[in-house]
Amino acid sequence: MALAAGKENLGLMPYDWNFSIVLRYLPRLLEGGAYTIALSASSIAIAAPIGIFFGIVRHQRIPYLLPIAVIYIDFFRTSVALVLICWCYYALPVLLGINLDTFTAVTIAIGLQSSAYMAELMRAGMQSVSLGQWEAARALGMPGHIRLRYIILPQAAVRMIPLFFLLVIEVVKTTTLAGVVTYPEIVYEAFRVATDIYRPIETFTIVGLICFVFLFTLGRVARWLERRFAVVER
Amino acid sequence: MAYIWNFHFLIQLGPLLLAGLVNTIKLWAVALSCGLAIGLVMGIFRTAPSAILRGIGAVYVESIRNTPGLVLLIWFFYALPILTGVQSSAWLAAVVSLSLYTGAYSAEIYRAGIASIEVGQWEAARALGFGYGNQMRYVVLPQALMRMIPAFGNRAIELAKATTLASTIAFGELLYTAKTIAEDQMRPLETYTVVTLIFTAILLPVSYACVWLERRVANSNGGTPRE
Repeated sequence: MALAAGKENLGLMPYDWNFSIVLRYLPRLLEGGAYTIALSASSIAIAAPIGIFFGIVRHQRIPYLLPIAVIYIDFFRTSVALVLICWCYYALPVLLGINLDTFTAVTIAIGLQSSAYMAELMRAGMQSVSLGQWEAARALGMPGHIRLRYIILPQAAVRMIPLFFLLVIEVVKTTTLAGVVTYPEIVYEAFRVATDIYRPIETFTIVGLICFVFLFTLGRVARWLERRFAVVER
Repeated sequence: MAYIWNFHFLIQLGPLLLAGLVNTIKLWAVALSCGLAIGLVMGIFRTAPSAILRGIGAVYVESIRNTPGLVLLIWFFYALPILTGVQSSAWLAAVVSLSLYTGAYSAEIYRAGIASIEVGQWEAARALGFGYGNQMRYVVLPQALMRMIPAFGNRAIELAKATTLASTIAFGELLYTAKTIAEDQMRPLETYTVVTLIFTAILLPVSYACVWLERRVANSNGGTPRE
């Protein structure tokens, strides 16, 4: 055997793949996956209301609030998720003088960043509602907020659904960074499993597959929604 | 109790941070060039007449885009020595994974750009006796590239953000350097604030430039470059 290995020595180490041992740790990885989903959900819960608010402010050019919205959106749009996570976990507690657990810190970081994307999505959705709808609503004598509530937002919301799904996918991907500050999501759990069984490649292959299946499915749902809610402009 | 800010140590350790920033830029530049090259090939694959090539392109793009960047990076960090026999380093793993990552996203940009060129352009080129390769090389790509530039700008911004992932495998880029300094000086607030501001100061102008370019391209005769 040693001879055979010597003959085909192309600089490649013969590697003995072993996935079965990783599969025994699958429950732990999936538990990490559950934490990933919980973190994604709470981040979206923060991102959606803030994003919708600033999106409306930006699109309607509401006085006094507009500059705040522009600065907020542009800052978080160009900020780096991992840096924000580190900032919220290591720096924010110092600034506030309180203790933040990893879940809260990462939720704040990802939630704030995603809210900027959400605001842009909101603005794009409102922009896509044709001008005629605004004019028709005004012609019927509807005041501003009624116009938004009953005419513009329902139509914008329908167009935003597929894009919102894509945002959710991005958020899920971003939450894999939370392991850096020891939040027990899937990548963090994978690191622990990999150290326990000394099988990093197999572990991360399995984790990659889990992520792929999950995100691919979400992507297909987004695509289906896109077709389902396709708007035919006349 | 009001926190007493102190940026003095960061001025002293400025050269360290600067070295980190230089590493970030190096990683960004190499991964961007490789990524755009991979993307070009895969983008052409995805619009190719051959179903096999389209299949290869689709598998590549879907598998990379549906895997978190961090998982890719760590996977390559551990798998590269086994796949290639080359001793792995944080630098190599970061370059390979970020290039493939950027390649998958830019393949979609190339594909959209190529698809945006009217069929008439292809037909006219064929009528002039151009083969598929020459139609692509001389007629379609030059026009498509103009329309793609703003999208590439946005990709470059996303890649600059993604370079921070390399800090997790101890590649000495800006965030990793900052982490070391923050722990060493026990001043996380100032250090991470400065890193946040550095990224914003660099990426915000680039982002504005992309928006400006996008408007220019959109206004220039429906996206078609003028003589």
